[in-house]
Amino acid sequence: MNDKHIVSAFDSDLELIQAHVMKMGGLVEEAILDASKSLKNNDDELAEQVRANDKAIDLLEEQINDECVRVIALRSPTATDLRVVLSVMKIIGNLERIGDYAKNMAKRTGILVSMTPVDGARGALRRMAREVQLMLKDALDAYIQRDAELAQDILERDRDIDQMYNALFREFLTFMMEDPRYITPCMHLHFIAKNTERMGDHVTSIAEQVIYLVTGQFPDDDRPKSDHYDPSLHSAE
Amino acid sequence: MYDAPKLGANVEQKELKIAARGVQVFYGETHAIKDVDIDIQAKTVTAFIGPSGCGKSTFLRCLNRMNDTIDICRVEGDITLDGEDIYDKRVDPVQLRAKVGMVFQKPNPFPKSIYDNVAYGPRIHGLSRNKAELDEIVEKALRRGAIWNEVKDRLHEPGTGLSGGQQQRLCIARAVATEPEVLLMDEPCSALDPIATAQVEELIDELRTRYSVVIVTHSMQQAARVSQRTAFFHLGNLVEYDDTATIFTNPRDERTESYITGRIG
Repeated sequence: MNDKHIVSAFDSDLELIQAHVMKMGGLVEEAILDASKSLKNNDDELAEQVRANDKAIDLLEEQINDECVRVIALRSPTATDLRVVLSVMKIIGNLERIGDYAKNMAKRTGILVSMTPVDGARGALRRMAREVQLMLKDALDAYIQRDAELAQDILERDRDIDQMYNALFREFLTFMMEDPRYITPCMHLHFIAKNTERMGDHVTSIAEQVIYLVTGQFPDDDRPKSDHYDPSLHSAE
Repeated sequence: MYDAPKLGANVEQKELKIAARGVQVFYGETHAIKDVDIDIQAKTVTAFIGPSGCGKSTFLRCLNRMNDTIDICRVEGDITLDGEDIYDKRVDPVQLRAKVGMVFQKPNPFPKSIYDNVAYGPRIHGLSRNKAELDEIVEKALRRGAIWNEVKDRLHEPGTGLSGGQQQRLCIARAVATEPEVLLMDEPCSALDPIATAQVEELIDELRTRYSVVIVTHSMQQAARVSQRTAFFHLGNLVEYDDTATIFTNPRDERTESYITGRIG
């Protein structure tokens, strides 16, 4: 297939939209990294920066959404072009949510600064966030390179995130049972873990959009879940 | 929550109306249609799309033997209508064209009254025994052509006095007056404004309940709007033939994709 449209303005519209998605993705990756770093280092200043930067992510989402609406209205995209626009609209929603979770992590960091530290948990949370950020980076690379295989790989990797969350959940329970003074910080840390796990789900959804964009079909939903707990207690869905 | 009706779910395998097998068309030395196989379903709108000169109109004209009128044109292969070979020697092309009606790009009403335009076909095919019956046929055809209300008070004025969009709907009414089973339309809206186009498209959708409609169009959006099945022709080949929604969201062939996304002309 030819890469270029006969109407070259159509190409520049699509390119601009995708460049903006990449820019938004970059901001979100940065938010994840900075939020987890601020948590690890008890750095409220950095956390404050993450909270403030979320505004830029939200504005970018709005802008890209408007651009997509414009392309649909003016250029009637079909086939791959249509899938580009539709997948962008979903992906920016996912990115915006991930940004919100990072912001929430930064908010809780601000609260946790003054509390009894919980041994080891912050390091594990940072590793989990780092892993999610890498998955996001790969998902965005897969998007730009139209690489369905790489996207499929991300779906598999989300299981690791779920397992990390499950391990942390167990750990927090133990801490809280040992000493009630840990309950408040552990509740905050648990929400951070849960939110990071949710980020992984949004990254997975982005990877699914990549597969849809490339193949025109969504992957079968047979991703195995790795919950070994009583689901009434919790679930990593 | 799982039984919500699916959009476009009316696309189902319907009864076969026209079957073409190994159709080749030559204009003198030019090989215009290359080995085309296609099944056209009953009560379905089938769109033929493709760049200029791809053979879509030529192929359409094979379906009611309009190419017979061109001396240097030669058609090979089999085309059957309800299982009967339309190129059989015993088939009278005039009778065939009563069953397989045609509407052209430019509205071409006869230089006669609105009434006579529609009555012409039923008269030569002897479809009515008296004036009352003919009146009834004309009214029914004009109603199906969605133009009755606009012309009922001036049936004896010339058809050429109508607006372009009205003339085209008159031509459609004329085509349906002989109770055809298939209606071929060769770019029926390319000379019409958007309102008239929308009226003709609405009409096509209504006609689908009784006829097979095959439409050639240069407007891909029109193909997407009116048809249930779409065939893409390129350089005399039938490249891809599928449900319209599939063609426009996820075509299989790269040439189809390039054409519908505006990458080749």
